[in-house]
Amino acid sequence: MKTILAIILFTATAFAQQKTPPPPGAARPLNLPKITEKKLANGLTVVLAPLPNVPKVTVILTFRSATTASDREAHPGIAQVAASVANEGTDTRSSKQIKEELRSIGGTLGLGSDADSTTMNASSLSEFSTRLFDLMSDVAQHPSFPDDEVKLAQENTIQQIRAGRADPGFLVNERFQKAVFGNHPYSFVVPDEKSISALTRNDLRAFVTKYYIPNASHLVVVGDIDVDKTFAEIEKAFGSWKGGTVPPDENPPVPTRDKRQIYFVNRPGSIQSAIYIGNVSIPRKDKDYFAIRTANTIYGGSFYSRLTRNIRESKGYTYSPFSNSNTQAKTGSFQAGAFVRNEVTGPTLLEIFYELDRMRVLPVTDEELNAAKEFSTGNFSVELASQFGLAGRISTIYTYDLDKNFINDFRPKVESLTAADIQRVAAKYFDTYRAAIVIVGDWEKVKDQVTPFGDVTIYDSEGNVVK
Amino acid sequence: MRRYFVTCLSVLLLIANVSYSHAKPLNIPVVYYKLPNGLKVVISEDHIAPVVTVAVYYNVGFRLEPKGRTGFAHLFEHMMFQGSANVKKFEHAKYVEANGGSLNGHTDFDYTNYYQTMPSNRVELGIWLESDRMRSLDISEENLKNQQNVVSEEVRVNVLNQPYQFFEWISLWENAFTNWNNSHNGYGELSEINAATIEDVRSFFKTYYAPNNAVLTIVGDVDANEVKKMVEKHFASIPTQPMPPRADLTEPAQTKEKRVSQTDKLANLPALATGYHIPPQNSPDFPAMALLVQILQGGESSRWYQRLVKEKELTLDLSGGLNYFGNEFDYTGPMIMTTRTTYKPGHTADEVIKEMDAVIAELTSKGVTDKELADAKIRYRSNLYDQLESGQGKAHLLSALALFRDDPQQINSLLTPFENVTAAQVKAAAAKYLVATNRTVIDRTPEAKQQPKSGQ
Repeated sequence: MKTILAIILFTATAFAQQKTPPPPGAARPLNLPKITEKKLANGLTVVLAPLPNVPKVTVILTFRSATTASDREAHPGIAQVAASVANEGTDTRSSKQIKEELRSIGGTLGLGSDADSTTMNASSLSEFSTRLFDLMSDVAQHPSFPDDEVKLAQENTIQQIRAGRADPGFLVNERFQKAVFGNHPYSFVVPDEKSISALTRNDLRAFVTKYYIPNASHLVVVGDIDVDKTFAEIEKAFGSWKGGTVPPDENPPVPTRDKRQIYFVNRPGSIQSAIYIGNVSIPRKDKDYFAIRTANTIYGGSFYSRLTRNIRESKGYTYSPFSNSNTQAKTGSFQAGAFVRNEVTGPTLLEIFYELDRMRVLPVTDEELNAAKEFSTGNFSVELASQFGLAGRISTIYTYDLDKNFINDFRPKVESLTAADIQRVAAKYFDTYRAAIVIVGDWEKVKDQVTPFGDVTIYDSEGNVVK
Repeated sequence: MRRYFVTCLSVLLLIANVSYSHAKPLNIPVVYYKLPNGLKVVISEDHIAPVVTVAVYYNVGFRLEPKGRTGFAHLFEHMMFQGSANVKKFEHAKYVEANGGSLNGHTDFDYTNYYQTMPSNRVELGIWLESDRMRSLDISEENLKNQQNVVSEEVRVNVLNQPYQFFEWISLWENAFTNWNNSHNGYGELSEINAATIEDVRSFFKTYYAPNNAVLTIVGDVDANEVKKMVEKHFASIPTQPMPPRADLTEPAQTKEKRVSQTDKLANLPALATGYHIPPQNSPDFPAMALLVQILQGGESSRWYQRLVKEKELTLDLSGGLNYFGNEFDYTGPMIMTTRTTYKPGHTADEVIKEMDAVIAELTSKGVTDKELADAKIRYRSNLYDQLESGQGKAHLLSALALFRDDPQQINSLLTPFENVTAAQVKAAAAKYLVATNRTVIDRTPEAKQQPKSGQ
């Protein structure tokens, strides 16, 4: 097909190559979202934010009581299995009917469970929002856990975990969570086969009745919506959901680490070492949240970070080194990592520790700090421009009981940080002295490079201690 | 998390497929023109948030890399972050991030792209950065060696140290195609990645990284007239380069089914991949084929998912697509419809294939229901909106339409051909293309192994 081209008729040589970066233009309005919070009579918190970038709607329903810790003594892993089977049948819809309904509204609906909540993420064309709300409400209130679906999910989950045990990324994450959080429920990654097999339909139904309750849940709706009309639709769909007794928080206090230790998962035949290094950090609500987040940006949480410049751009040890600050309700973890060829395993450990200690001992430069602040605030705007990004940000305010002004306060809080703040949190939480060092690789090939860094416990890919 | 910088063939952009029941027409503003040096320019204003995406797409991908240099197009992509006349090594990243943005690049079958998303008042910075490296890439031995190491680690982490080793792309393409340009390993053999010379880099840059082989796309909270002036200022004096004749990408028709068995040293479970050659994008069969893919394997309601995972309980999962690693619009050469599934121990690939074939036989005899087709169109529309939601997604589609069709305005009518597909056309497409002689099947099973007890 042809189109009409508007050719610009300037001469091509009028401008020479500019040697310095152009300065920014005048700042544009931030267009912060307009957020409306309401409550249903049954206690369900409903939060609505119009974002009509495309004619779709994105919804997150969070059950704050259904966590990894819930009911874990009797049924370890039940929150995760319940989440994976809840959308495979309700009292009035078969699994196939649910999937076909989603198809006909251009929709998606999935559940997942973690240490602090179970969430149902859903979306559809906005013209079908009432049908999406009906379906979500049905899955939240009346999942039937049909015997054949439970059995299939049990078999498939066991096989999927077996498949995952071949993947170094899965193994290194699993061992890291266990190393950092010990026996705390936060260490949970996947249930063992026995626990999965032991679950029954009745266990799952009882779990959902107890933990999927409106008075410990919040529903966030973002998209091409009219606030009043959408709220009326939600009231109709979710109004009959019965409240329950909010169960007590079942998470115990988090253990602390007292020494440096290497946890080596042996994977014979590996041609790389998958390395995670880290420690326990802070809960999401902690006052140091912004400081540790910014320290992470400078250390390894951005492309132009110290770690990337060092072990990728200078030394060529790795493709995608990284660090993360993960904060949860009770506590969090800080982790740095890289996947490197066997020959540079020891040198990589050395550089990861060097860069961690440099953050602890010396202040960051003003240039680095200002860049990290711009990085955080600029990318925050990008995040808020997507329906799922904005819905997720709003949802965490309720999951972690944050200040309701979190989104509006983000920029001033980041901008007020000093180099001393960054050094103080790095000294405290980038705790190299008590770090967990987790490596998945070929022990025979890299053991001589690893042992100088600490005492070693060796595991197989099933998680058994072998030495 | 890891793997977010400078990716190779990412699986981000699964746009899928199809049409409309009663959709409002799209009305995306598109300004399109060419500079005298041949650079295509697309500007699309969008004022919903104070951000902008600046992207450059070059009309070169894996298929055009030199023989003996598998993985070179992707290695070259990495070199584009190694500095230019006024931007030192890796400082492209510094400028973008210190100005509140994020950036990446990606190499695909038929294009290589570079993009940054930033606060919209920094738009000229993005334009300047892209112009500086298009005009004056700085290439050194030291930086080449460094990036050969980095890319080798990328191939190790994403291919060689992984179970299955990306067989649903690399092995499937090696077997399904016969023309080297299409069939070779685009991620690259380590020996060939490391054999690349500085002369290779210079020559590839001069040949393909020219304004007349690229599109510059700017999407976001900007004024199109102001942006035009910035583009003129920074790009207009970059000289045009003569273009070599395009390589012949044509593929002989397949006449016999191809079946391949492989063993895997790292995997714990068997897996299967299939690829069927599909009609070219300008074929009248193409829209029906795209909808057929949706009906067969688009999500958990699809016929293959329901048969294999739910009814017969043979496989754990099912994934795939018409262009598994992109969408219907972002490639130009021959393409296959890919399917990948992990199947359960105790079963065989033949059992899985038999069920897949039974589903095809039902389609070719009875066709699809009206409801199924209508739903497939709705799903297609919804997936298109997902891509149009972000500046980056919109820039991707606009760039592909400008690069391959010289017509980014098509973004507003993309759904029309899919909307018009009939049930009879879907049935006919199944009969014509989903035949065994048109496919390649790879069965990949774990190598028999005993887990050595480590440290003993």
